[in-house]
Amino acid sequence: MVSVAYVIYVASFITLACTAAVGVYGVLAKRNIIKKIIALTIVGDTANTFAILLGFRVSANVMPPVLPSLNPSKELLTRFAGAAVDPVPQALVITAIVINLAITAFLLFLAVRIYSLYGTLDYGKVIRVRRGELDGEG
Amino acid sequence: MVDPAAPEAVLPALAVLTPAVTAFALPLAHIAGLGRRGVEALALLSSIITGFFSVKLLAAALSDGTPLTYCFGGWPPPLGIFYEVDVTGALLGCLTACLMFLIVLFSVGYMEDDGRLYLYYTLLMVVEAGMLGCFYTGDFFNLFVMIEVTAISSYALVSYLRSDRVAVAASLKYAVYGALATTAYFAATVFAYGSMGTLNMADMHAKIAGIPTPLTGTGFANVGLGLLVFVALALYAFTYKSALFPNHFWLPEAHSSAPTPVSALLSGLVVNVGIYAIVRFTYTVIGGASAVGKYLPIALLATGAASAVIGGLLMNLQRDVKRLIAYSTVMNLGFIALGYGLSTDLGVAAATYHLVTHAVAKAMLFMSAGLAIACVGSRNLSDLEGVGRASPFIGFMIGVSTLTLAGVPPLSVFMSEYALITAMVRAGNYFALAAFLTAYVSGAVAYLKLLYVTCVKPPRKPRTEIRGRGATYSVLTILAVACVALGLLAPLIFRSVFMPAAHTLMNPSQYLKAFLHYASTLTSYSP
Repeated sequence: MVSVAYVIYVASFITLACTAAVGVYGVLAKRNIIKKIIALTIVGDTANTFAILLGFRVSANVMPPVLPSLNPSKELLTRFAGAAVDPVPQALVITAIVINLAITAFLLFLAVRIYSLYGTLDYGKVIRVRRGELDGEG
Repeated sequence: MVDPAAPEAVLPALAVLTPAVTAFALPLAHIAGLGRRGVEALALLSSIITGFFSVKLLAAALSDGTPLTYCFGGWPPPLGIFYEVDVTGALLGCLTACLMFLIVLFSVGYMEDDGRLYLYYTLLMVVEAGMLGCFYTGDFFNLFVMIEVTAISSYALVSYLRSDRVAVAASLKYAVYGALATTAYFAATVFAYGSMGTLNMADMHAKIAGIPTPLTGTGFANVGLGLLVFVALALYAFTYKSALFPNHFWLPEAHSSAPTPVSALLSGLVVNVGIYAIVRFTYTVIGGASAVGKYLPIALLATGAASAVIGGLLMNLQRDVKRLIAYSTVMNLGFIALGYGLSTDLGVAAATYHLVTHAVAKAMLFMSAGLAIACVGSRNLSDLEGVGRASPFIGFMIGVSTLTLAGVPPLSVFMSEYALITAMVRAGNYFALAAFLTAYVSGAVAYLKLLYVTCVKPPRKPRTEIRGRGATYSVLTILAVACVALGLLAPLIFRSVFMPAAHTLMNPSQYLKAFLHYASTLTSYSP
């Protein structure tokens, strides 16, 4: 008998794969720079959720990865190791979130600069303007 | 093994932390009222100290033969962040720190003070810390963090001139797709952790080779599909960072529109991070032990051949001198990838040698071309006619660097290209040789055209006086001497530095041993 929790666990991986595909499509195909940045955060958050899910455990008595006592007994340690979720992906994710914040802030700064220099947020137009200028120079 | 109590044992941490701490100190020093000269002196001092540490580290790695290690916070691997520096890592770190000192010195003479110069030096220090971290780390996730540190500060450096329309657009292109690539790399680390249960590079190597290690055992039984996704995503990210075909599209714009010292930094040093990561990944992590490991060098050969030919051909079509030099970077990275793809000791040594000679010569060419551009106020090749005759020093330096890159004996790049050709012939890989020669001839034509236009044709535009002569001229002189010395000393250094570097890279057993030395202090968990 497959448990409901297990079905949800597998279904979330499929959902994440679809979300990642949507995000990558958005970065590559959307011409609006803000939409590109939004798509980028979607991809980043999908990767983060994927990491968290990978460290999760499908079991009845799953525990957070924090030891409840400072001087744990042998039984508590055994129970903890058998039920706690993996803390490593959570450590990875908190690092990745901080980095994504920095990148998003920087990209938004660039979007503001692009708008004030080119008067548009359409990446296709920016490229066309640049190409026209290059031909003019030559 | 280096004794953990010996002073050399903390060198990997010191070399990375010195520029990192300086990066935090520079804005504070600016707020505290330190002027332009004070900020420059602080950045120079920090880069000198870092250079000193990196040279000591290389000497220690060469004399000891085993990788130098450092456990951050005293946590033994695979629990904590573990720095593991073998000869290749130490060599690239030494190149980075030494060239970085020259770039900072060049910036002192070259950059105009626009009131936020302290931010420029802060970013330079962050890039240096990130790159050294990439070369010294032995942890796959720490590599991700360090690549991001390097990447974000390079995006910011490209758009440092924030009113420059070209630079801001180039930086956006570089940053958007770069962020996508690093996210792919993050997903790759998650796949790696999910399939192997560890993120330490030596431990991952053990998992793939099937060697049980303390604490993590043999990992999970079936790693086939997870490993494949991991390899694909990580390779995508690394080829983006090293601008190898088909991910080279961002490089010509980003490298040409950045301020000149930044162009030298990006073309000479930052792209090496991606190449180094590919090589560490191919030969240490995967290590040829699995089915995937056998195909990785072939992928490297294919992407290297494509980059070399495309870069070499497109060099000839450029009207913008900095774009021409940027495409030559794509070509040379292709050469390096071809050498690493041979997977013989000689091929790997020649590729590392070419990486070093290219970095020095390319930094020099960008700097001398930057001075010429400052003279005439235009980047168009047609406006630069005869600039070398109008100011002979710049002409001489452009001459030395183009002739070096075009592979004229006995200058350094000729020696490394000769080593590459020898390695290709000995390996019997005529596909690589054909791609190499096609690109080489095409590239040489473009270099000679650049030399002819700048140094032989009569001057056309009146020149303006250039500023900061002392610093920029002395940096170019040092680089010119380095170009000649790296060529003339070839027989000596190739045997004593590059062959040991290749040997340690191709045989990861020492790398694994240094890891096991620490990991064995942990008791294995048994439920």
